[in-house]
Amino acid sequence: MNHKAKLLRVLGVSSVAAASFVSLGSASGAASSGSIPKGQPVKIGISLSLSGDFSADGQAFQQGYKLWAADVNKTGGLLGHKVVLDIVSDASSPTQVVTNYQKLISVDHVNLTFGPFSSLLSLPAAKAVSRYGYALVEGAGGAPSVFQAGLHNIFDVSLPVANDLMPFAKWVTSLPAGQRPKTVAFVTSNDPFTEPQVTTIIPILTKAGIKTVYNKVFPAEVTDFTPIADAVAAAKPQAVVLGSVDVPTVSAFMQAFEQSGFSPKAFIATGGPDQGSTFIKAVGAKNANGMMVPNAWYGGSANPLSKKMVAEYIKQYGGTAASVSSDVAEAYSVGEVIAQAVKATGGFDNSKIISYLHSGVTLQSVQGPVKFNGLGMNVNPTAYTFQWQGANFVQVNPLGDPNTVKILYPKPAWGK
Amino acid sequence: MNTVALLSAAKDGILTGSVYALMATGLTLIFGVMDIINIAQGILVILGAYLSYALQVHWHIDLFVGLLITIPAMFVVGIVIERLFIGRLKGPERTAMSILVTYAVSLLIEGGLNMVFSVNDVQLQGWYVTRSFAIGQVHFGYIYVAGFILAGVLLGALYFMLYRTRFGMSVRASLADQTSAALVGIDVKRVSTITFGVGIAVTAAGGMIYGATNAFNASSSYDLISRLLTIIVLGGMGSLGGAMFAGILMVFVGDMVGVIWSPVWSSLSYFVVLVLVLLWRPQGLFGKQSARIA
Amino acid sequence: MLQKKNLWWLVAFGALGLFPVLVTNPTYTTIGVFTIIFMACATSWNMFSGYSGYIALGSAVFYGSGAYTMALLSIHLHMAAGSELFALVPVGGLVAMVMAVPIGWIALRVRRHTFVVITIAVFFIFQLSAINFGFTGGTSGLNLPFITWGFQNYNTPFYYVGLGLTIFVTLVSALVRRSRFGLQLLAIRDDEDRAMGLGVKVTAVKITGFTMSAFTVGAAGALYAMFVGQIYPQFVFDPMFDVSIALMAFLGGLGTLSGPLLGALILEASQQYLTVTYSNGSLYLILFGALFLVVIIFMPQGIVTFIRDRVSRRAERERAAVAANDAPPSPTTPVEGVAVGGTH
Repeated sequence: MNHKAKLLRVLGVSSVAAASFVSLGSASGAASSGSIPKGQPVKIGISLSLSGDFSADGQAFQQGYKLWAADVNKTGGLLGHKVVLDIVSDASSPTQVVTNYQKLISVDHVNLTFGPFSSLLSLPAAKAVSRYGYALVEGAGGAPSVFQAGLHNIFDVSLPVANDLMPFAKWVTSLPAGQRPKTVAFVTSNDPFTEPQVTTIIPILTKAGIKTVYNKVFPAEVTDFTPIADAVAAAKPQAVVLGSVDVPTVSAFMQAFEQSGFSPKAFIATGGPDQGSTFIKAVGAKNANGMMVPNAWYGGSANPLSKKMVAEYIKQYGGTAASVSSDVAEAYSVGEVIAQAVKATGGFDNSKIISYLHSGVTLQSVQGPVKFNGLGMNVNPTAYTFQWQGANFVQVNPLGDPNTVKILYPKPAWGK
Repeated sequence: MNTVALLSAAKDGILTGSVYALMATGLTLIFGVMDIINIAQGILVILGAYLSYALQVHWHIDLFVGLLITIPAMFVVGIVIERLFIGRLKGPERTAMSILVTYAVSLLIEGGLNMVFSVNDVQLQGWYVTRSFAIGQVHFGYIYVAGFILAGVLLGALYFMLYRTRFGMSVRASLADQTSAALVGIDVKRVSTITFGVGIAVTAAGGMIYGATNAFNASSSYDLISRLLTIIVLGGMGSLGGAMFAGILMVFVGDMVGVIWSPVWSSLSYFVVLVLVLLWRPQGLFGKQSARIA
Repeated sequence: MLQKKNLWWLVAFGALGLFPVLVTNPTYTTIGVFTIIFMACATSWNMFSGYSGYIALGSAVFYGSGAYTMALLSIHLHMAAGSELFALVPVGGLVAMVMAVPIGWIALRVRRHTFVVITIAVFFIFQLSAINFGFTGGTSGLNLPFITWGFQNYNTPFYYVGLGLTIFVTLVSALVRRSRFGLQLLAIRDDEDRAMGLGVKVTAVKITGFTMSAFTVGAAGALYAMFVGQIYPQFVFDPMFDVSIALMAFLGGLGTLSGPLLGALILEASQQYLTVTYSNGSLYLILFGALFLVVIIFMPQGIVTFIRDRVSRRAERERAAVAANDAPPSPTTPVEGVAVGGTH
């Protein structure tokens, strides 16, 4: 074959390839028109971290979303349309999350989008879906940076994280001077979820005369916490406020404290003890006794919506109320909020849903009432503090709430 | 900051550092003999930890008893990897190629571990993991002390093997000069295979201690390999003593920085120390000045 | 012969230029933007590491510096969210070059194998600094001015700026390759001591090459930051980026001109596509690792060189056959004529 023929052949191949791309290209993704033909399901697109750094939470979120979809479909779906979840994995990468949501909208033609796990991924996701006029309702993107981005289409149904530790701080300062811890250590991961929580309460405790004996940030990628825990233990604080995102961090600190023969009178961790059975399995039921965690929801919540969800969760996955991760409730709430918005607007038009959610209306969820401000922040939720007391995970704050039980203080020594 | 905190940090640095020294020694031995940079060393440490985990969870075998199984198992894994992949690399670019091949191997292992064990963090358990004894006000965790002793014993055994056995002589000859070693009748290929196996076998012990002191999953390997590479370069690539010294030095410096300044700067301090040392001694602390640059 | 090669390049870049015209679905053009960014970076990396044999695994330092330049300047200069931000793309490249000079000066004092590790160490210094210093926004990252273009038009300008960077770096790489300076880099790869003996100022040549290769990577980082609109330290100073672009160059053919382009095209596009389609991260790792082992073991010189060797062997056979038939000899053009020069 001479080279001219070769050139022609290659050109031919390339034009075939180009033609096949055109067929890919013909699928254009305009914003959902708002109406779905009768008998067709409503498709909801979600990117979740099913591998990578956030995968444990990603999987719990998946359970929550699926539980909600199953419940909705039992009662006839959304406006008579069966709910179908279209879940893709983003490997915890913001680059992939951008591609994923566009694929969900422009190739899979989903009608609605739900958020990924964590503030890190929620922001790039919200920016990408905003180009299509879609709303992004999410349950785990409550870091201040999310609300500072000036986005019109993001809604976080959960508690904005900065206020999480307030009830704890109020409780500490309400203690009679003789019982109040005299010293406190603040140790937090440098994470957009934990740092704001911890820094918010430092001035409050300082004002109440509690001396800060240790206040340091550790990098999120640390895995050997012994040197840090040793330094905290050496400062002998009576209370420890740990800014943690996951179970391994809390369990490592607890283990290292035990090893150094150090047990604080009060120990609160921003994330980890709320993870139900995962937490108990990691630290042992005896060591968990007295551990506290701030949150907006727990498996024992008296909210009737929540009781129903927990019962269904247990039916499907087993375990006890205390073993349900709060991720499940956060994801479930996303579904509930969107369901109410769809019902109120009478369709699946995202621009109508966005204006409805911005209208100041109060919606109901398993995590309690939800009301959004102009930034998409939920202004309504109550922050609680929960504590492990024996095998039970109970609500110990805010003071005066009818469901609040007496706090276990001082925390018993390890293994007691 | 008080003296107890400083002493505790020093203790943590030395005890943990010795385990890193052990893992890094395997890496530098492989480089010295074979000119292979084994990026898979990190994931192999994690594989070793998961082996201990599997033995513990499924057969209730104690972590230290389990080493009798995991160390030979990791030796075999090393031999297999060498035979299948590393041994095929030829030519002047083989060191560069080895980075890619071992990286590919580590991706395979990472994917496999994720599938078998899921990506949820696990930690190895044992009664000695949470207990400690105290000297003055400084508490010594049993597991850290055990790790220190284990690292010492295995490094001693390695030393004995290299300096007191016939095989060790062949290894040292190959370390010094492969071509001359071959000329005096040493089967360099066989020495290479076994060396690779030995270099990997130490990851079983390192992995067990790592797994008992850190919650880990397969992606923990990235942090490990970056530290191990830093250690062997600081010590001087191919220098066994250098790897041991640098392993302890690195973790010690990191922990001291953590307590004196802030934990956020402790990882950074490793890398800064490395760059500073290399400005002064490009061949590393104990590296031989090589006659040729490449 | 040379003109034919140029024709192939025109066809290749013409096809890349037509891509967003033919493919309008934003999902695929998004994958296109990420892919073209990697094509530029892999080519730029190859211009130093491929030619000199000094494998750098810290290029994310330049990528991240470019991304932070884009983010910090656009925020602090209160720039409007829109196409004027593209002006910061070359600025990101220049900042990366400024970073490259001291890094190169430190890292290039050592042997080749140690150089790899120093680049990794320098990478971690940058990543950890970005995480821990205040002005970088720490782990919350930085929010760029929010560009409100609709999905129909959003990707296209990014794609063409990326393509422009790719063409620019390919041209520079080709020019370097043919210049005296390029020959000096190649001489260093083949035998640094001899090159030094022959009077090549090796340190100056290496630092110059290293610095030049930083520009496009920095500019691409700036483009990425603007495209995604949000940066985090661990994702712009990403160790996977370092490894990826090296793998792309190796896969395509280290030291060739077309190899890194081809490697990036295959790897980045397939990775994005496979993850979005199959959503199983673990399986992906295994497939990816296996593919690599196969390529490295069976095509250690990369795809471009592998095919060229095959084709030139066949061409020789054809020529021999033609000669045997006593027909007039026909000139042969290798199909992969896009490659300039060989690896040796």
